[in-house]
Amino acid sequence: MSEFDSLLQGMNLILTPGHIGLMVVGVLLGILVGVLPGLGAPNGVALLLPITFTMSPVSAIILLSCMYWGALFGGSITSILFNIPGEPSSVATTFDGYPMAREGRAAEALTAAFSSALIGALAGVLLLTFLSTRIAEFAMTFSSPEFFAVYLLAFCTFIGMSKNPPLKTVVAMMIGFAMAAVGMDTVSGNLRLTFDQPALMTGISFEVAVIGLFGIGEILCTVEEGLVFRGEHARITPMVILRTWAKLPRYWFTILRSTVVGCWMGVTPGGPTAASFMSYSIARRFSKNRDNFGKGEIEGVIAPETADHAAGTSALLPMLTLGIPGSATAAVMLGGLMIWGLHPGPTLFAEQHDFVWGLIASMYLGNVVSLLVVLATVPLFASILRIPFSIIAPIIIMVCAIGAYSVHNSMFDVLLMLGFGALGYLFKKLGYPIAPLVLAAVLGDKAEDAFRQSMLFSDGHLGIFWSNPLVGSLTTAALLMLFWPLISAGIKTAFGWRNRHPIKPKTL
Amino acid sequence: MAHSSHSSSLVCTRWVELGLALFTLLIGAVVMSGSVEQGIGWGDAGPEPGYFPFYIGLLLATASLANGVLTLIRWKPLSTSFVSRGAFRQVLSVFIPIALFVCAMPFSGIYVASAVFIAWFMWRDKVRAKPYGKPMIVAVSVGAVLASYLIFDLWFKVPLDAGPMGDWIAMAGRSLR
Repeated sequence: MSEFDSLLQGMNLILTPGHIGLMVVGVLLGILVGVLPGLGAPNGVALLLPITFTMSPVSAIILLSCMYWGALFGGSITSILFNIPGEPSSVATTFDGYPMAREGRAAEALTAAFSSALIGALAGVLLLTFLSTRIAEFAMTFSSPEFFAVYLLAFCTFIGMSKNPPLKTVVAMMIGFAMAAVGMDTVSGNLRLTFDQPALMTGISFEVAVIGLFGIGEILCTVEEGLVFRGEHARITPMVILRTWAKLPRYWFTILRSTVVGCWMGVTPGGPTAASFMSYSIARRFSKNRDNFGKGEIEGVIAPETADHAAGTSALLPMLTLGIPGSATAAVMLGGLMIWGLHPGPTLFAEQHDFVWGLIASMYLGNVVSLLVVLATVPLFASILRIPFSIIAPIIIMVCAIGAYSVHNSMFDVLLMLGFGALGYLFKKLGYPIAPLVLAAVLGDKAEDAFRQSMLFSDGHLGIFWSNPLVGSLTTAALLMLFWPLISAGIKTAFGWRNRHPIKPKTL
Repeated sequence: MAHSSHSSSLVCTRWVELGLALFTLLIGAVVMSGSVEQGIGWGDAGPEPGYFPFYIGLLLATASLANGVLTLIRWKPLSTSFVSRGAFRQVLSVFIPIALFVCAMPFSGIYVASAVFIAWFMWRDKVRAKPYGKPMIVAVSVGAVLASYLIFDLWFKVPLDAGPMGDWIAMAGRSLR
């Protein structure tokens, strides 16, 4: 069956009032978590997970993915109006979005941001539509060693490409793996790392870690920085929307380039944050108006937003086809898929045809719904940010606590959330990344299974990871990525590009 | 040096770096010892349960150790302030209530703890020119709790622990019927 037929079938499946209602609810909740400080897309999706257990998988994924799109859109509202990035990935939008708002061009900045975001997102979905079946078919030939090599590649890319110090990335990642190992071993049935504590027998859920690290940790950081909302006002009229849309075609090349950057960074585990920064700096370097960047240049809003959303949507491509999420939010969704009893990976396309194409179809519709909803509700959500912090903060914390409790109906999880909150605060301040921890916590068991089966095939020889050209090149690529900081430094010195002493104290 | 020049600095970044590195080292050690208990070798059915986690623990411990050593090497540049006294007081003024809230939950149930927590937060807000009135505090805290009951318990059927108070109300409701 061709992709087009499958897509139509998916559209057919999701075009019911119930599903469209869920989309709107998901988008609204997403904008809400995107706008509120301390709640972000990974956190919001983790909080919603327990609610989805009673739903059908298609409805559940529509709700969660639409929340993701909503959060991506919501992050731009706070960036532009308040100079506060609601999401890490919308930091780059503040550079030019906020200056535009201060000049009184807030509505123009918002419209440009949302519209280019939609273009980026649709490009990501197109990529997903036409590439995913092929990648899934290719991945059907994989066995355990190949899967482990793909996991290894994902994890090594994180370490080698991260802006954070590599060793700190390793530490964060290994804590995630250790968390995943707690509880019952899937192969032998033994209880591992529980130290005879009944509370640990069910394992440590990644949801609790996400809620603590992102939610409580973020609140603590916000409090320390001393939160002051000084927002600009915005009224979006149809006239402004049309005028901004008329301007957009002039920036077609920026949009195209940002889309490519975004899709690439989303498919590889670079994630939306890296994509938006990269796209912004490329746009600044090559733009005709480069002197105006940072002072309210519309191109400086279009570039990061397009890349951000292109990366956000294309992050689902490796998640669905290989079972490897490209961002922290995708990791949480992947965890959800496993809880609903689905097996992310190539078999998903064969066994859960309706689910996959329902999701892909909902991504087209969901992003359009997001644009409409977000354009209509900007003033509402901007006014939510004007509610005093002393009301918003305790309510956010209460929602986090309820979310952590409802994962297993256990008070121990709430305590764990508190611990992860303190850890998240320290991690953020010392430059430890959080996303690898979440990724490892979700994928830990699968990576371990793949590794153990490979070891069984080979009787414990690591040579199996070079036993055929495919797995060999994957493993070699992984190692290249792992040592990339060293390799690139070596190349630079070899060619005499002497850069000055790279180590500088990190003060944040 | 840092202590004399930044009188408001609470602690240097290097001590926090070192502390966190030691903490993660400890986790690594715990993971390794837990894995050894399970057997880290090659059993009848292939790798034993502790096989994979052991190397995870080993990597964690090694990377933490290296982070610690890096901190020692960069001892001088890392003398910058980690957090100022005032900012840390702010953080604690939020963290301690959260901790108390979490610890009270098993005894009072989620609803009562949440209502008290929100009320306390609003009551303590000294930044505002005009403090919140009592009706406002009661309305927001009870309203938030009621909303969470309606959304989680009734709508999505995720039961929340209501604590002894919830049990009494349920008992009273049953006896009335």
